[in-house]
Amino acid sequence: MNKIKRIFTYVFLSIATFVSIFPFLWMCISMTNKSVDVTRGRLIPGSHLFENITNLFQNYNIITSIVNSLIVAVITTVLTLLIGSLAGYGFEIFRSKGKDVVFNILILSMMIPFAAIMIPLYRLFGRISATAPLFGIDTLAAVILPTVITAFFVFFFRQNTKMFARDLVEAGRMDGLGEIGIFFRIFVPSMKTTYAAAAIIAFMNSWNNYLWPLIVLQSPENHTIPLLISTLGAGYSPDYGVIMTAIVIATLPTALVFFLMQKHFVAGMMGSVKG
Amino acid sequence: MLKNVFKRFSWLLGLALLITMLAACSEDDQTQGSANDSGDEGTSEFEGSLLAWAWDQNFNVAALEIAQNYFDEELKMEIVDSSSADIVQRLNAGLSSGTMKGMPNIVLIEDGRAQTFLRSYPNAFYPIGEYFNTDDFASYKIAPTSYDGKQYGLPFDTGVTGLFYRKDILEEAGYSEEDLQNITWGEYVDIAIEVKEKTGTAMISLDPNDLGIIRMMLQSAGSWYTTPDDEINIENNDALKLALENYKKLMDSEAVYMVSDWSNYIGSFNNGDAATVPTGNWMAPSIEQAESQAGLWRVAPIPRLDIDGAKNAANLGGSSWYVLNIDGKEKAAEFLGQTFGSNKDFYQDLVTEIGAIGTFKAASEGEAYQIEDDFFGGQKLIYKFSQWMEDIPQIDSGINTNGIEGILEAEMQNYLKGESLEDVLNNTQEQAENQFK
Amino acid sequence: MSSSMNNISMQSTKSKRLIQGLKKNTIGWTFILLAILGISAFYLYPMIQAFLLSLQSGMGSNLDYVGLDNYVRLFNDPTFLKALSNTMLFLIIQVPVMIVLALVFSVMLNDPTLKLRGFFRTAIFLPAVTSLVAYAVIFKYLFAQDGFINDFLINMNILSDPINFLADPFWAKITIIIAITWRWTGYNMIFYLSALQNVDKSIYEAARIDGASSIQQFFYITIPVLKPIILFTSIVSTIGTLQLFDEVMNITSGGPGNETLTISMYIYNLSFEYTPDFGYAATVSYVILLLVVVFSFIQFKVAGDRS
Repeated sequence: MNKIKRIFTYVFLSIATFVSIFPFLWMCISMTNKSVDVTRGRLIPGSHLFENITNLFQNYNIITSIVNSLIVAVITTVLTLLIGSLAGYGFEIFRSKGKDVVFNILILSMMIPFAAIMIPLYRLFGRISATAPLFGIDTLAAVILPTVITAFFVFFFRQNTKMFARDLVEAGRMDGLGEIGIFFRIFVPSMKTTYAAAAIIAFMNSWNNYLWPLIVLQSPENHTIPLLISTLGAGYSPDYGVIMTAIVIATLPTALVFFLMQKHFVAGMMGSVKG
Repeated sequence: MLKNVFKRFSWLLGLALLITMLAACSEDDQTQGSANDSGDEGTSEFEGSLLAWAWDQNFNVAALEIAQNYFDEELKMEIVDSSSADIVQRLNAGLSSGTMKGMPNIVLIEDGRAQTFLRSYPNAFYPIGEYFNTDDFASYKIAPTSYDGKQYGLPFDTGVTGLFYRKDILEEAGYSEEDLQNITWGEYVDIAIEVKEKTGTAMISLDPNDLGIIRMMLQSAGSWYTTPDDEINIENNDALKLALENYKKLMDSEAVYMVSDWSNYIGSFNNGDAATVPTGNWMAPSIEQAESQAGLWRVAPIPRLDIDGAKNAANLGGSSWYVLNIDGKEKAAEFLGQTFGSNKDFYQDLVTEIGAIGTFKAASEGEAYQIEDDFFGGQKLIYKFSQWMEDIPQIDSGINTNGIEGILEAEMQNYLKGESLEDVLNNTQEQAENQFK
Repeated sequence: MSSSMNNISMQSTKSKRLIQGLKKNTIGWTFILLAILGISAFYLYPMIQAFLLSLQSGMGSNLDYVGLDNYVRLFNDPTFLKALSNTMLFLIIQVPVMIVLALVFSVMLNDPTLKLRGFFRTAIFLPAVTSLVAYAVIFKYLFAQDGFINDFLINMNILSDPINFLADPFWAKITIIIAITWRWTGYNMIFYLSALQNVDKSIYEAARIDGASSIQQFFYITIPVLKPIILFTSIVSTIGTLQLFDEVMNITSGGPGNETLTISMYIYNLSFEYTPDFGYAATVSYVILLLVVVFSFIQFKVAGDRS
């Protein structure tokens, strides 16, 4: 019985894996082909990989874009985790009526489509440009600022704090730790997997973010990877081999972050902290 | 429980009110003007670097780079290459917010979208009619690039269309090159059915979400979805009726190879799944990338609608240069006027180096336009296109083309499913009037 | 249970507690201060501006106040109503399927004795990080009339004639649902996987000793423990689906006709594709906001969350 279950699990996961990675494999094959073969839907590896890579690196600022995306994604991830978890923890542990009301208002902000607030936000950054150009339009800071503080992560950390053993907080207070100390010394270490999940999501959101960077970043030297990929497809006769190459390269960092972070998802790791 | 809910909402309401008030107060100090009026007119002493936005590194961006060689002054220009859709979004964000920081001096806009920008953002663009002569350009380019009696755009590339076809496949079905010259769309559909029957190959590949073929039919008859004074022109439009009938006959036949996407579309004729490609001249490089088909392709004039006065010429795509009303506008206009606006030699370079066909009429007399294209069996492709270009009927596509087409696409599904043409057109007219009045 | 015993000492410590409570409250506010400031500046403030915009109408920057006209216009706008019904359909069918699938995957992939765990997890997560542009191109190939899916179904004798997935009103919707599920299941799985680590293993051991089957464990332990996270993911997925744009834009552009048009795609069209009417676009956005509020309220109630 158990064995049958096991076999079923593997078969099910293998099918799911195949379905999940098939398009990615297709891209990997496409990056070795000429554009005309990509549009023909050819699924046999070709010999054009080197040409595609040279074309991409010689004609486009892909290195600049990767560096920009990395800067934005790393800073965003770190700040998001810090601000989001502080707030999520604060809302849940120091719960009060007033805070719940504020929480509900903050949550409203994730419910409106970004397209609706984009132009007012752009106007706001226009005004920031006038006083603090370093944070204004056409700076990486303008991409980072609105994305590091989102209701999404406040909500996420709050829901996870609900699963956190509250007696640990009381124990910390008994031991004479300050509230900040309790947060950093007790909460943060025992919520490692929550932070790992948040890191993956924050990194990914930032890495793939398109609409806001598109509007706010104008100079090519500030462009991030999704903007570059969009430019690649802009021509009258786009080179699909080069596009696929860029996309595979763009996918790898997030996949790597995921692979490293998911190792923290090991059942029972919490046990040692909870005692 | 109900009381509880009310309590929570009153809190919410109070806070919302407070923030609204705060926002309303700060509203006043906003710079609402959509353009930066530098005030001092006529100063071309602009020292900074010009900023230009365009798409396609190998085409429009390259054209701007070549143009710099033909300008008599030393010029600093930074060109940002992004997709047309990206430019539309950036430009809308910038112009509608009134935040002109980072906005370009020169921007390329598709002809079909130009009126939208010119009318939506008055004073945002700088009239450049004084910097070149509009009579030097193909007449069909003037309506989309001007507004309210002022010339805002400098016409650039043409979207003149042609009927690209596979000579070998059509011959197998019994059609010679002569049989395809100056035909009507009705004849085209008949040939399509015959070709499919005799050779098994589809005549055309079509994406049901792309009504470009309807646009070409309409323009050949000098008609459009709207009248020149922006009235919706659907239910009593004979050209549109005929176009839809042709389209349905084609779709109902076996002669259409359905595609769902641009790359899929290009793949279809690269793969030999379609015998003809009726479209803009800019498709030539994508056709030529299938090297094994060299010598098999030819181009003929685009079919016309079977209506009095219709021409075997139409336009699909194409774009023009615009100057924003910000510092550096005079310099930008001078640059465009001297290069794209009047230099015949420059256009020879454009053809030989990037294959771009402009709409500057005098350019076609040049030698570069006489080149014979081996891929197309030695036809003088560029010369042919430049000749057809002058026949393109002038239409004013107005500002609601995309919106109306969105409605028509939905109604088209009903038509293809069997609803009567009259109902379909009446419904489209009614919806369009509701939405765009 | 010990509350009755504490009653006696409560009186004396009441005032002390009050002061402590106040102090705690202040510290609590400092924890959330940054988030409040940031969200107010970058989201709430623009939202209010967007609301003011929704009371205006006109081309581009030629806006006039029209009061609630835009809101009235919604009800007579067949395109909007079509977009609304499409979006609701996607929501009702797609979100439950995805949540259940993600839960099943996360429970399977949480088993420490499973081999190749890291590989399976990464593979299933991969669709979420793949560039949309690329996967849209590939999806269109897969679902084309002569694409892999049709070939496969015909070879298996399930179909006799190919289905034109992207040109058929019904199948185009199915294709979009498949595409969203494909892309976002692995994403939701992460939330469950991480939350599962916070579940005390001893509960499962006790259950196993009591003879509970793994199905029973799933329903009586895993689901209740994960409740806050399930609530989180269903609200987030509801928001995501109500704001669905990317997949539709890239795979069907809303077609055939407007059969897969979503509300967000309509907002995009109103702002950038048609003659820009940012006022009306903002009105449509507020409809999304309203819908999300209603659905979230229902979900909070169903989940019985304490707030």
